[in-house]
Amino acid sequence: MIASVILAAEEVEAKNPILPELSEMFWGAIAFFSLWALVKFVLLPPVLNVMNEREDRIRGDLDAADAARARQGSAASEVSDQLAGSRAEAAQIVDAARAEAEAERAAIIGAAEAEVASMKADAEAEIAASRAEAMSGIAPSVAEVAADAAGRVMNRQIPLSSAQPVVDRFLSNSN
Amino acid sequence: MFALFAAEEGGGGGLQFPPISNLVEWPNYFGDGTIFAFNKIGLISMLALLIPTGMFLLSKKELVPRGLQNIVEGAVEFVDKQVIQSAIGPDGRKYMPLLLSIFLFVFFGNIFEVIPTFQMPANARMANPIILALTAWAMFIAVGVKAQGFSGFMKSSLFPPGVPKALYLLVTPIEFLSTFLLRPFGLAVRLFANMLAGHILLVTFGVLCIALWQKSALAIVLPFSFATLVGLTGFEVMVSLIQAFVFSLLTAVYISLSLNPHH
Amino acid sequence: MSVLASTAAQAIEFAAEAELNADDAKATAGASSAGFAYGLAAIGPGIGIGYLVGQAVQAMARQPESAGQVQTTMFLGIAFTEALALIGFVVFILLKFA
Repeated sequence: MIASVILAAEEVEAKNPILPELSEMFWGAIAFFSLWALVKFVLLPPVLNVMNEREDRIRGDLDAADAARARQGSAASEVSDQLAGSRAEAAQIVDAARAEAEAERAAIIGAAEAEVASMKADAEAEIAASRAEAMSGIAPSVAEVAADAAGRVMNRQIPLSSAQPVVDRFLSNSN
Repeated sequence: MFALFAAEEGGGGGLQFPPISNLVEWPNYFGDGTIFAFNKIGLISMLALLIPTGMFLLSKKELVPRGLQNIVEGAVEFVDKQVIQSAIGPDGRKYMPLLLSIFLFVFFGNIFEVIPTFQMPANARMANPIILALTAWAMFIAVGVKAQGFSGFMKSSLFPPGVPKALYLLVTPIEFLSTFLLRPFGLAVRLFANMLAGHILLVTFGVLCIALWQKSALAIVLPFSFATLVGLTGFEVMVSLIQAFVFSLLTAVYISLSLNPHH
Repeated sequence: MSVLASTAAQAIEFAAEAELNADDAKATAGASSAGFAYGLAAIGPGIGIGYLVGQAVQAMARQPESAGQVQTTMFLGIAFTEALALIGFVVFILLKFA
């Protein structure tokens, strides 16, 4: 009986499930503080180094990419500048060539027109000359024919010498 | 647990829940009766030290992470982004070792709840949570004293500004209680009770499954019970992670409150 | 002499039984109040956590870009709210098993 009382008393003093056990605290403290020290001095620094290095590397690469992009932009603008310059130059050259060609054409046309004009003048002169020649050739025979015709009309001989001035005057008038 | 049930089966059978000392107290491997007594909790604590150490040491330090290095850097980055940057800010980087070791120690202490042959969270005993909470407590007091000086820290934590002078009679004891006693108590009890509740929950469904296995008439509900057990195991994995996160986050918040009290 | 001894033995027996009964009664009362303790302690935090998470989800839906900050604050709030339920759970353990 007394033994059962003692047993019951012991059962009442059974360990509270909430109170910490000293030996568990001992091992837990050893484990946790070792982990803290290890993480602080041994484990974490290399990992952080690598992560920082990677971050720096990525940032560097990004910066380089930005710089390259900027460079590319400036090169592109340079190219477009050059392109615009050469285009302007080309336009200038074309304009100059066109102007030159125009001038040349004008000169050629002028020369041709001058030639044509001189040829025309020559031709006219020639025509005038041949006409005068023809006229002068035709005048005696006209006087002769006129004198003959007049003599036939008047039934008398009209000397050619008197007819000649009249015909000449008429011809020159009619001309 | 099987042995436990076999013992109870003789006494009429039925569903009998084992006494809680059978669930959380473990026989010592050595050092019985001394402070060096080493049981399963001590073993899990040691594993919670050795596994992260091994993971950190074995992971290669390469610019392009792979395999184990991904996990290690994921943990570091999680603590950095989710705990430090969101609770303290960029100048909280120097508390990284403490917060990372708290996170890892709590998580690996918890996760043994679902690892077969262990099936016991080390933090379901009050020992480890007390150690961690006292560390956090000492840390935030030290940070506060260092940042504001002793009188400044006491003034900012015991005499909050904007309170009428007469009310300090009422406010100061409450502030003292909540800052210096309830904070570590809350930290420790939160972790302890969460893990103990999860452990008891898993044990309950485990016991239920075993009892249903023996009762052939009721075996038809065994699949449901077992499915719940599996689902709860997954839930407990999540709880392990969240409790580790919450413990380190709260430590970071307390440190941040000590750094700049009028935040 | 033997009567005296037997009387003493009987007295000790009665005393022991009375103590046992007292312990039993205490254990029974503790066990039956343990459920109430935890159940009552879970009401408030249950409502609180539900409200808190609902508001957090609303905040995250309104401003998805601040989801990380909201999530961290949500976990903090859950931790503080949950503490009350957990203290109830500890009381449950104390009543039931201690």
